[in-house]
Amino acid sequence: MGQESWQGIHGAVSGRSGFTEPAARWKRACHQCDLLFTRAHAPVGQRLLCPRCGATLHRNMDRSVAHTAALSLSGLLLFIPSAALPLLEFSLFSFGAENTLLNGVQALFAAGYLWLASLVLFCSVLAPLGKFLLLAFISWGSAWAGMARPVARALRWYHHLQEWGMLDVYMLGILVALVKMSDLGKMTVEPGLYCFVAMMVVSSAATVSFDAETVWARLARHAKNSGESAPADTGGTQ
Amino acid sequence: MNRPARALSQGFWTCLGCRQLVPKPPAASCLCPRCGARMHGRIDGSIMLTWALTITGALLLIPANVLPVMTVIYLGSGDPSTIVGGTLELYHNGLWGIALIVFVASVAVPVMKLVGLVLLCLIVQRRWDVSPRQAMRIYRVVNAIGRWSLLDLFMISILVALVDMGAIADVAAGAGSTAFATVVVVTMLAVRAFDPRLIWDVYEEKITAQPGLAQHKSHRENE
Repeated sequence: MGQESWQGIHGAVSGRSGFTEPAARWKRACHQCDLLFTRAHAPVGQRLLCPRCGATLHRNMDRSVAHTAALSLSGLLLFIPSAALPLLEFSLFSFGAENTLLNGVQALFAAGYLWLASLVLFCSVLAPLGKFLLLAFISWGSAWAGMARPVARALRWYHHLQEWGMLDVYMLGILVALVKMSDLGKMTVEPGLYCFVAMMVVSSAATVSFDAETVWARLARHAKNSGESAPADTGGTQ
Repeated sequence: MNRPARALSQGFWTCLGCRQLVPKPPAASCLCPRCGARMHGRIDGSIMLTWALTITGALLLIPANVLPVMTVIYLGSGDPSTIVGGTLELYHNGLWGIALIVFVASVAVPVMKLVGLVLLCLIVQRRWDVSPRQAMRIYRVVNAIGRWSLLDLFMISILVALVDMGAIADVAAGAGSTAFATVVVVTMLAVRAFDPRLIWDVYEEKITAQPGLAQHKSHRENE
């Protein structure tokens, strides 16, 4: 990982011969600059970058599916204490109040800020939870040939949901709140926060370890083995 | 003359959902055979949509900054504060590190995002003479910083639940927060609506018109 491979440029740059290339040779186009490639996959543990615009075309993590399965499962398990336990406690004189992942949303709902409350709920609870669920479903479900269609749909949803999970931003929000309020009263870090931090780390690790190409290749192999009409060529990440 | 081959001009579409390369169908759009997402050669009406969302964001930035986002009442006294006011207050209290974080996340990032989006639209539409690598850099920065401007809103939602002790101490959200939340969502959607491949389309057109530029470019690319 981290090493960058720049294959594909030989196939891509010679435009004159490009017109005579058989169409089947092209395997991939850069999603950010539309450059065509013949060599579609990064070697295991490496990244394939677009030689023209530098976009990451493919990051082939070692044992991607197994890692993603494990990480998404631990994410789901960590979600339970993170949501159930208080994250912070603020006390002033003899009064005290706790903050959990959900009561901030509740308070905003109660105050009539529906749109803001839904946004906070979605970005800090639903999207991360959905991400873990989808990743778990994708990585476990892609093992069975019969699940190809729902897994393909889950992959599409994951692609849309991914950028709305904002555990890291929420974490920074907690830190700002912690520092900002510490001169007004006594702020205490509660056990839920440690679970939340662990969940945040697991979430980023799951995002990095996940490789959609591997899953698509898996689905294509299933389709080939069961003799159905295979979906369009996906190359083969073995 | 060495010219990189583009998928669209070679008769291919790339699915933005799963990045599958698909031979161009006869229709104006189709469903991706692999993942089922709707496909186009380029995002449909990309520039128009980006403009619309960017302008919406820019207009909403006014109430987001004028209206208060949060009111902190401590021992019976407290004023509603706007985003900039809250940052200044943090700075005056000596918390300049936190003030800097909040300033970057909730003032600098939204403005930078809007400026970046306007620049990107103009580069494509007005065919400004900007190197496509520079334009891609703008695109990537705008894409990466987008989510961080929700920081202040998350902090408000935490404080609203945390500091709720009646007259002694209380934090309430303000109307500005709704506007601000909408700015963040709208600009995130605007970045998604922008198709960076248009930058390269414009560039291709330019180097077709000026072969000298292409020569220079292919040298750089083969290095």
